[in-house]
Amino acid sequence: MDTVFKGEHLLPGQLGQFFVVLAFGAALLSTIAYFFAANDINKLDKSWQRIGRIGFWLNTTSVIGIGVCLFYIIYNHFFEYHYAYAHSSRSLPVYYIISSFWEGQEGSFWLWTFWQAVLGNLLIWRAKSWESPVLAVISVAQVLLSSFLLGVEIFGARIGSSPFILLRDALELPFLKRPDYLAFVRDGNGLSPLLQNYWMVIHPPTLFLGFASMIIPFAYGIAGLWQKRYKEWVGPAISYSLFAVMVLGTGIIMGSFWAYESLNFGGFWAWDPVENASVIPWLTLIGAVHVLIVFKNSGHAYFTALFLTLISFVLVLYASYLTRSGVLGETSVHAFTDLGMNAHLIIDVLVFLVIAVVAIVARWKELPFSQKEEETYSREFWLFVGSVFLALSCLQLVAVTSIPVFNAVFGTKVAPPNEPVTLYNIFQGAFAVVVALFMGFTQFLKYKKTEPARFLINAGAYLLSAILIGGVVVWLTGVYKLHTVYSLLTITAIYAVLSNGKVLADALKGKLKLAGSAVAHIGFGLLLIGAMISAGTSKVVSENATGEMYSEEFAKANNPRENIMLYKNQPVQMGEYEVTYTGDSIALPNHYFKVDYKKKDAQGKVTEQFTLTPNSQANRKMGLVSSPDTKHYLFHDLYTHVSMAPIKYEDELRQQAGGGDDGHDAEQNDDSNYDAPVPHQVAIGDTIRYREGFMILKALARQTTLQSIKLKADDVAVGAELEITTHGKVYKALPVYLIRGNNGFDFAKKVEDAGLKLRLTKIIPKDNKVEITVYQQPESKKQYIVMRAIMFPYINFFWSGTIIMVIGFLMSIFRRNKELKTV
Amino acid sequence: MKKSAIFGLVVIAIAIAVIISTYSSSSTYGTFTDAKEQASTMQVVGKLNKEKELYYDATKDANYFSFYMKDNKGAECKVIFTGTKPQDFERSEQVVLTGKMVGNEFHASKILMKCPSKYTNDKMEETEFNAKQASL
Repeated sequence: MDTVFKGEHLLPGQLGQFFVVLAFGAALLSTIAYFFAANDINKLDKSWQRIGRIGFWLNTTSVIGIGVCLFYIIYNHFFEYHYAYAHSSRSLPVYYIISSFWEGQEGSFWLWTFWQAVLGNLLIWRAKSWESPVLAVISVAQVLLSSFLLGVEIFGARIGSSPFILLRDALELPFLKRPDYLAFVRDGNGLSPLLQNYWMVIHPPTLFLGFASMIIPFAYGIAGLWQKRYKEWVGPAISYSLFAVMVLGTGIIMGSFWAYESLNFGGFWAWDPVENASVIPWLTLIGAVHVLIVFKNSGHAYFTALFLTLISFVLVLYASYLTRSGVLGETSVHAFTDLGMNAHLIIDVLVFLVIAVVAIVARWKELPFSQKEEETYSREFWLFVGSVFLALSCLQLVAVTSIPVFNAVFGTKVAPPNEPVTLYNIFQGAFAVVVALFMGFTQFLKYKKTEPARFLINAGAYLLSAILIGGVVVWLTGVYKLHTVYSLLTITAIYAVLSNGKVLADALKGKLKLAGSAVAHIGFGLLLIGAMISAGTSKVVSENATGEMYSEEFAKANNPRENIMLYKNQPVQMGEYEVTYTGDSIALPNHYFKVDYKKKDAQGKVTEQFTLTPNSQANRKMGLVSSPDTKHYLFHDLYTHVSMAPIKYEDELRQQAGGGDDGHDAEQNDDSNYDAPVPHQVAIGDTIRYREGFMILKALARQTTLQSIKLKADDVAVGAELEITTHGKVYKALPVYLIRGNNGFDFAKKVEDAGLKLRLTKIIPKDNKVEITVYQQPESKKQYIVMRAIMFPYINFFWSGTIIMVIGFLMSIFRRNKELKTV
Repeated sequence: MKKSAIFGLVVIAIAIAVIISTYSSSSTYGTFTDAKEQASTMQVVGKLNKEKELYYDATKDANYFSFYMKDNKGAECKVIFTGTKPQDFERSEQVVLTGKMVGNEFHASKILMKCPSKYTNDKMEETEFNAKQASL
């Protein structure tokens, strides 16, 4: 049946799909051509290489073409495409259209293949004699990545998932069969509110550039084995590994910063499987960099260097399998949903695993293993040991994160640990203690051989000062109250910072080329210290001792309670702060809550005052989505987020903004929001008391204008000027009484912030009095928020450590590049 | 013995220790009956009983949320969670609780819930029909 559908824009999709297929074909061509080019004995014959290049450039162009088409579709809100429908909506600003671009799996695969294409072009330009074998490997990866975007059925099985699939093909719904279905699809599903954050614009591209660049050291490793250039590949592999580690590290920390700033799990790291999956290859590649340097300088540890380099990329693919296949299921909050690509993802991992294994096995006998034994007092030995420990720490991460995979494979039903965070903290902490210790004393060792006595004195002296300083730090910050691992790690991390500080000082005096690693090590040390102290000693400030107790037993088992409730304008003492929820402001779709913090000294004088505005978004599909607001101090952060608030849904707010009507019925209904009205007869200057304050009738004044009604010449309108004082705040209100002919009308005045409605219900001329009727909201109707506040001490060490580490990586890259003379 | 051989043995020993401790620290999915028998913390998978009351009143206690859940064997139990009610809890399809039994109540320290995905077909249908009615 050929239905003609109205209003569809099919051209960009068809063009996009053409590019998808072309990208796949071109990558295949490039792989084959580069393969023959690399195997060509006659190195002067460049014909295969030329075809390889053309294939790769064609692939790059198509990948860019896919991106342009997809962006065009999302930008123009062509909701006939499923991707645009599922991930964007009309109300999204342009910069979030960019983040909706990579919200889905297809978009993030595109990002990955795009970066890989860019890096491939860089290598065509720079790799010289390495070009053919290295690009052959990268092209294989391009073939696989572009196959994830194919969305073509071959032999009844769908290969990949295309971003250009139409809504009516993606979903089996009766109304989508109608020719005019597009008239009903008015808006897209929208971008998840959690991702509507500027970090989400730059975090994914950085992360995927990191993942994409992990293939370069892998490709050099394979190329080295393939071309029997067993030692030469190490030089460029070091540079590119440093680049990959730098970018991936930055990407991971950006994600962590996004989580800290805009998610509400209350921290910067949660050991979520998705986080673990990205940090595992990062750690193994850092191990690889160190062992590669060992090999370069001493000829030792060849196999470990090769193994870690190759396994890092395989682990990247394994990570993408974990996060994209849906296998993590109930253990992770933010894995992608299953797109039915399970087998495809496994094949991707296996292809590269097989390439690595075959390459190593085939060349095993020729590999340059060193026959000598390392000296015990040599830098290479301990660098090697440290790197192996780093890799071992990943083993635990891999093992725990993979529990769902083992369940799927063996049909078991093992649940992940009950307290994963504590488990990881202690385990990884223990490994980090060893690694930090090595980071410290290895600095005093030289390659080949060091004089033991001198080494022991130097290393010992620094260790002693680290113990002293660390002891003070541990005591002052209260880390000693936690598990011993935390204290040990703080001390050893300080040791690492101190001894690398010495190296840096020496480097500044002359040996400048050593500065890079020293800076990176100092950064990593600071990062560990910051992470340790702030995660270990973070404290919930919003402890709530009040609240109705349900059973004594319950209260005993569940203290401390971490949320406090704030009624609007009622100050509550929270730790050393007096907090007040003072108001709201709405910038669609976000609802901002103003929370006023005051710190008072013993005399009750305000010593510090600031306002935080955490926000929430009530989303029909996702419920209440809250983002915290944080007060940053130099040495600690105060983090505040709203865990519950009775706010209106986004679309209700939009309607309200469009214009509300207050009919009579609405008025009747409105009264039910208040307690029974209480009339008071008062004269000017009298005070009316009510539950939460008092009000004074300041004056009665004749009104010449009324907001909603035009006054006629003989109308008499009297306004009662009331001054209300409640919880230390003063409000003014002016209810009005209007006499028109023989009828009296009154116009109520609401004071929302005080939860009051006031009416001037009667004028009693003989007593010179008026009747003011007071409506006050019951406690349960009053506006409130439920809030959680956490103090993170010394978190700035964590962020600044990261930045310093990245600078160190950058310096090292420049140094290694200078050493490199690529042929 | 060679130094590298000793180191190799140490590495293998640590690797084995890591794997064993991983599996000894891992938990098991159980039922409410299991939880009653063993006083220890465990994870229970089940479904929310949507017919019974979900109690959460922030104005009384912002940290108290209770509901009834049926585990996979069909046994029902009252669950108490110290914290705010997770948003959209009513819509959850599957709930994984971590906690332990205290008396006849299950005290959960962690709730992980699975909601119907934003993009699955049945959800789509619902939203689409709304749009349709509105336009007629």
